[in-house]
Amino acid sequence: MTQKMGFMPGCSLPSYTPEGVKKTMEYLKMVYPDLGGVQKCCGKGTKALGQEDKFKERFAGLQKDIDDVGIEMMVVACQNCYKTIKETSDHTNVESLWTLLPRIGLPEEVKGKGSVSDVVFAIHDSCSTRYEKEIQDGIRWILSELGYRVEESEFSREKARCCGFGGMIVPANPDLAMRVMKRRGNDFDSDYVVVYCAACRSSLMKAGKKAFHILDLLWGPVIYNEEPAPEDVLSSPAKSWINRYKSKHAVRKVVKA
Amino acid sequence: MEFRTEVVDLASNIAENCMGHEEAFCVAACPMHTDVKKYVAQIGGGNYQGAMETIREKLFLPNTLGRICAHPCEVDCRRNTEFGQAISVAGLKRFVAEKADNKELWDVKVKASTGKKVAVIGAGPAGAQAAIDLRKEGHAVVIYDKLKVVGGMMRVGIPEYRLPREVIDFEYSYLEDLGVSFQMGVEVGKDISFDELRVIYDAIILAHGAHKGNLPPVQGKEAKGVFHAVEFLKEISFTHKFVRGGKRIAIVGGGDVAMDCARSSWRIGCDEVFLISLEDRNNLPASQAEIEESLEEDVKFNNGWGTDEIVKNEHGAVSSIRLKKVASVFNEEGRFAPTFTDETKEIEVDTVIFATGQQVEDITGGLLEQQGGGRYDVNPDTLATKLSDVFVAGDASGGVIVVEAMALGRKAAKSVDRYLQNRDLNKARHIKKELSYKTRLDVPLPKGTVNLPRTSGNHREARERKRDFLPYDLGYTEEQAKKEASRCIQCECKLCMTECIMLNDFTECPQDLFSEFIDKGEIDPVIPYSCNMCGGCTHVCPNDYQIGEAFMGMRKDFILHNDGKSPMEGHKAIEIHQMLGFSKVFCTKVKGVK
Repeated sequence: MTQKMGFMPGCSLPSYTPEGVKKTMEYLKMVYPDLGGVQKCCGKGTKALGQEDKFKERFAGLQKDIDDVGIEMMVVACQNCYKTIKETSDHTNVESLWTLLPRIGLPEEVKGKGSVSDVVFAIHDSCSTRYEKEIQDGIRWILSELGYRVEESEFSREKARCCGFGGMIVPANPDLAMRVMKRRGNDFDSDYVVVYCAACRSSLMKAGKKAFHILDLLWGPVIYNEEPAPEDVLSSPAKSWINRYKSKHAVRKVVKA
Repeated sequence: MEFRTEVVDLASNIAENCMGHEEAFCVAACPMHTDVKKYVAQIGGGNYQGAMETIREKLFLPNTLGRICAHPCEVDCRRNTEFGQAISVAGLKRFVAEKADNKELWDVKVKASTGKKVAVIGAGPAGAQAAIDLRKEGHAVVIYDKLKVVGGMMRVGIPEYRLPREVIDFEYSYLEDLGVSFQMGVEVGKDISFDELRVIYDAIILAHGAHKGNLPPVQGKEAKGVFHAVEFLKEISFTHKFVRGGKRIAIVGGGDVAMDCARSSWRIGCDEVFLISLEDRNNLPASQAEIEESLEEDVKFNNGWGTDEIVKNEHGAVSSIRLKKVASVFNEEGRFAPTFTDETKEIEVDTVIFATGQQVEDITGGLLEQQGGGRYDVNPDTLATKLSDVFVAGDASGGVIVVEAMALGRKAAKSVDRYLQNRDLNKARHIKKELSYKTRLDVPLPKGTVNLPRTSGNHREARERKRDFLPYDLGYTEEQAKKEASRCIQCECKLCMTECIMLNDFTECPQDLFSEFIDKGEIDPVIPYSCNMCGGCTHVCPNDYQIGEAFMGMRKDFILHNDGKSPMEGHKAIEIHQMLGFSKVFCTKVKGVK
């Protein structure tokens, strides 16, 4: 019997791109018509501060939501959500969108779209999943299916370096965070970097890179050299929360469609 | 505030076992723990004075050691263990000593006088080092030696073509600069008794070396023309001659002393030089360089042969040496117990030199017991003897090579200093680090390390050099020295420090950071809250230390002791952020339907 599938956009992704969330869910809904949806924080932030009890309480809230809507297999697009659910939930299965897409394939209309691009993208892997080779492979598969050219840096995959955002250091030690961001930016020869975490994208933008979320490439227009990257939305709390609100409605709308 | 046991345990493990401060292979192997890594880098960077200062922190005779040190550092050098091509540490030391050593760099500070007097018997490297260290502590030191010249075996054992005598004299002048006194040409036991010395001095260090040459029990050893290496090399050292010897000479032995005898034989005018050793060519105890240089000088090696008989002529003088083929050198238990086959051969010679080891003479009149080779019975940790005021160093206590003798001299001096202050000889002493030890350093070779050949030196042609006592090795040119120094891998761990920006803001290595945490029982919260938990440190750590986990544990404790809140001001924003992330306004759950 197949498991009941659901999608959870997380925090930074819905704050960055409601459109990306919507399109991703629409596609998943085509493949899994009974796709469910949950938008809530996984509690990683609370956990990272060291608030064990509060984290347990908050994760229990998320777990209840997942259970209420009968989701057995949660698809996530955030590496921290992936790790948190995997390590914490005793009965909900989790799969990364980046390993699911290679299995179900990309929509015909996006295949090869990047082959006309003159951009060579560097890839920034998320440090939280440095040992998840399948996720890293999935990202490269998606880029290859899209037809984009990529270059590997010395510090990729298990050698990935932090973007500077992790571990709640930005509010605790902003000067250090900025240096970590700059260093990460300098790891890449190319100005154009593709990421698969919206928070990482924001960091690399601050480091002066033209950073694209892989969903930007998947659902958005073809990117050419000299084109700017999308705005660093996460730097603006107001815009972020408005987006998060929009994403919430996108989740509801797509699931109920 | 109190941290939970699991946090303290995690931190303790890192504090104890992190290799951040673990010595490089060369530094640990050097009995004096000269900072080889540092001075090699300084030479590579052209900072010769800096290199000289680094060397002189530990060694008073850099030029001497640069020429004759048996360099255990090179044996353990990573370039040797990985590629069989050690950094030429000794060669570099000689280069920089010749280039940059001068008396202005010498530290001649001594502490205020303690009123205590110490006699050091022997002006070799062990005695000299002990004298230096004790003088610096403010004790009055007098060195006695039966020779009229300083240097001990370096002077009368090591041949001049390897170690010019003016180098010894120049470097020993440091002792005079420090105010060490000398009683040269005074033999303890003859010119002054050991008992008298004990009355005059508060403490005594016996460092008179192993200068007694005993002939092994070989048939015909009483023949005219049979000598021991000790007297042979000593006479050559003083006169460049050995008047009692002939022109066809056999050296019995396979160690460095045998090579010294063989090579010296050419230089005093011998026509044929044979070297006879029990060991086969591949198992000679001599250093590889000495073996190769002896072969270049056309010494005729007879490896795997033992002496059957020294054959005499009608005048009772050596006419030949008969050899028997070795079947095995060691028995099943690994002990020295040579066996032979029936095969023999005879070599016509007129002189035989036994370079088969030398012994320590007893100068205490039997007050101290002696072991194999005449070495005095000592406590190996402190070099103390059963006489509370008498200590031993160098060959007399079981040292083998010059730099080890120096380390033993230093060890004995440390014990004497404690004894003179009525302090415990053992307490709070890092015994392991007083001699050569094996470092715990275990790191992968740095990325991109390739096998670079050792820079060959400038030896004079064998044909030319074997007829004089001038230095056979001319040393590195500046260009060669820099090239050689640049091969150094600069072995260290600190891999996490090359990876993590945050750690560099707060420490030199995790060992320091976590040791301080353990010692103080506290840590500035900004440290654990600056770790971004990326795992980069753990990924590169050879021991996979969970440094991020340790910081995470600390964070949890800070929360527990702060009403569930982060102690970091900036984290208030995160609290709000998280609250909103769980609020109904931004959250939803929708059941999927077909």
